[in-house]
Amino acid sequence: MTARTIITVPADARPDAGSALRLVRLHLESRRVTAALVTVVACALTLRIALRWSWDTYGALQLPLILESGCAAAIGITTGSPFGEPERATGKWLPLLRLGSAITMTATAVIAFAVATLGADLAGGIADVVRNVVGLVGIALLCAALLGGGLAWTGPVVYMIVGAYGLYTDWHPPAITSPWIWPARPPLDLGAALCAATVFAAGIAAVTWRGARESA
Amino acid sequence: MTAGAGQVVGQADGEWRAWRQRLVAGVRLLRLELRRSAMVWMLPVTGALFWYNAFRESMAEPAMWNLRAMTMQHGVLLDFAPPVVGAAAWMGSRDGRRQLTDLIGTVPRPRWTAQLATWAAVTCWALVAYCCCVGVLYGLTARQASWGGPLWWPAVVGAAGIPALAAVGFAAGAWFPSRFTVPIVTVGAFFALGFSSQPRAPQWRVSPTVSGAPSIGPDAGIGTFYHYLPDLSIAQVICVVGVAVAALGALGLLDRASGSWLRPIASSMTAVGLAAVVLAAGLAGTARLDPHGMLVIPALHDAANDRPIGYTPICAHAVIPICLNPAYAAYLPECKRALAPVLAEVAGLPGLPVRMSQGAPVYFGPLNSGFAPSGAGVVIADGSSDGSRQTTLVLPDQLPGEPSGADITVNQFIGQIRLPVAADLIKIMVGVAPGAVRVGAVPGAGRISAASGGGSPAQRAVAAALAIDAGATGAPRANTAVGLAADRFAALPAAVRHAWLATHLTALRAGRITLAQLP
Repeated sequence: MTARTIITVPADARPDAGSALRLVRLHLESRRVTAALVTVVACALTLRIALRWSWDTYGALQLPLILESGCAAAIGITTGSPFGEPERATGKWLPLLRLGSAITMTATAVIAFAVATLGADLAGGIADVVRNVVGLVGIALLCAALLGGGLAWTGPVVYMIVGAYGLYTDWHPPAITSPWIWPARPPLDLGAALCAATVFAAGIAAVTWRGARESA
Repeated sequence: MTAGAGQVVGQADGEWRAWRQRLVAGVRLLRLELRRSAMVWMLPVTGALFWYNAFRESMAEPAMWNLRAMTMQHGVLLDFAPPVVGAAAWMGSRDGRRQLTDLIGTVPRPRWTAQLATWAAVTCWALVAYCCCVGVLYGLTARQASWGGPLWWPAVVGAAGIPALAAVGFAAGAWFPSRFTVPIVTVGAFFALGFSSQPRAPQWRVSPTVSGAPSIGPDAGIGTFYHYLPDLSIAQVICVVGVAVAALGALGLLDRASGSWLRPIASSMTAVGLAAVVLAAGLAGTARLDPHGMLVIPALHDAANDRPIGYTPICAHAVIPICLNPAYAAYLPECKRALAPVLAEVAGLPGLPVRMSQGAPVYFGPLNSGFAPSGAGVVIADGSSDGSRQTTLVLPDQLPGEPSGADITVNQFIGQIRLPVAADLIKIMVGVAPGAVRVGAVPGAGRISAASGGGSPAQRAVAAALAIDAGATGAPRANTAVGLAADRFAALPAAVRHAWLATHLTALRAGRITLAQLP
């Protein structure tokens, strides 16, 4: 031992505001949140630009879902940790940081879509965006917990096709009416909203508690 | 001399051995990549997505090759795009994500070669999945379809699209080896495919998800009476091959360590690929709708494909035989039900057609909107011009059980057949068509209606009465002389009416019967 003194930190010690902010910043940087935010903004801008073109009914309904899936996949990827076990062993505030970053990123995506579509004719409206983004992020978080942050995109991307076809069947019977395929339900459908919220809660809980799987 | 020949033989043998070693090494590399490809893990996902979307949608169509193959072409690449592009991008970014680029850059073989092997492995697995999925769909259709054979062009377009999807994903992953690249390029590919299938400028028809004229889509009459035209499919194959070549060329541009010989090849490939895409889009832009519902691209069109397809009709024996294309065999009972009351009205009368056959629908109108097939009406070519007195029947373009839009019931289907056929038969028999039966009339079909003043008042009254009695139309306005006469004639017992017609039909057709002479 070369250190002259050993500083003992009490178990219930709380970081001061500066340290807390630094911790949050380092956590977000390590999760490549900047790249995810760029992706979210790019998706929102793409939606804004795409809404200026003409779309048939299917296209108008499926377009937001596709871009929401891209956002959700990016948010899921931010759960991957580059540090692994050392961070798990020493990061006392890690669950809170995971919880906070996931919820903040989800809220950011919803706000980005809401701002981008202001004054535009968005099929389904903002209620549809909120429900779809929340549900898709939940799927991404669950995938991150099961497969790892690097593969978190698989769930939202696969669900994107499921949802897009569900929307298609609204005109091409037999319609798929399960609330678990919430993009195909009306924006204010309670069952669909509950299913999306349930998946989001499960995803948040899994990522907060366990974090993303580390093998990927 | 002998030694020289031996040298030549030895040199050739050495070159062959070198080539053989390279081939064996390439095969070994491919086998290694096949075992380690991420696409293997995506196979169940791909199969599930195909089943969920393209398979179920295609199988929901009636068992006709054209409907199922064209529906499959529309959905199959959308199902395959996310898993194939995702797996390819994942594999393409593998070295970069694991920081192995510098290490692998030191090997003597060009990096491009190894990357092509990785891409080929993803493509091989994806094509295996594609062949299995399409094979199951075509196999089930072969068991269910009453006539015809597989339409291969829609399947070929899909198969050609798989390497292109893999190449785009792989090149994106190799160029930008970030974990964000995979979802971005995957969602982007799906977005691009979906975007391209929207009704847009004519050049967008080159999208491999477009299976025909955008305003028509899969239709029972397309490729049933006339050959399925491969014009658009050829343009689409040129386009997706161009995309694949351009993407693989872009991949070669990434390899800066392999000497100066590689970059010109890679640049040329990219340029040729992009030129092929532009060419294909240009060709698709020249497409026009032919009368058989398919797109003709003049530069790619083979006039031999314009010939009608020969077939032995399948017939139901009513008062006169009712014959359909064997592809429509399932609808023969409905046709018989639809036409029985009409034929009962005119049975045994002079001038009755000897046979009723199905004709091909005629498609007309602009390509992107407002199309109207003639399927809702009946085309009378000429009741007796060829001596066979054959009446042509065209079935409605919407078939019962077809899940596209209208969701027509059997009773609606029967009504849609009965209305125009009654009008046409009555016109043949009496000389004028009942004016009320004009729904779905085809321009140029040459119908004469009571409303337009054609024929004598007695002819119009008899025509209206026969139409009422056949269940093809409601009663005409009774406050006119023609309406009153029609009501009176329709109220007669069928035997009396039939006997009167048998005696007076020739005179009626010649316009020598007045309203007062009608019973």
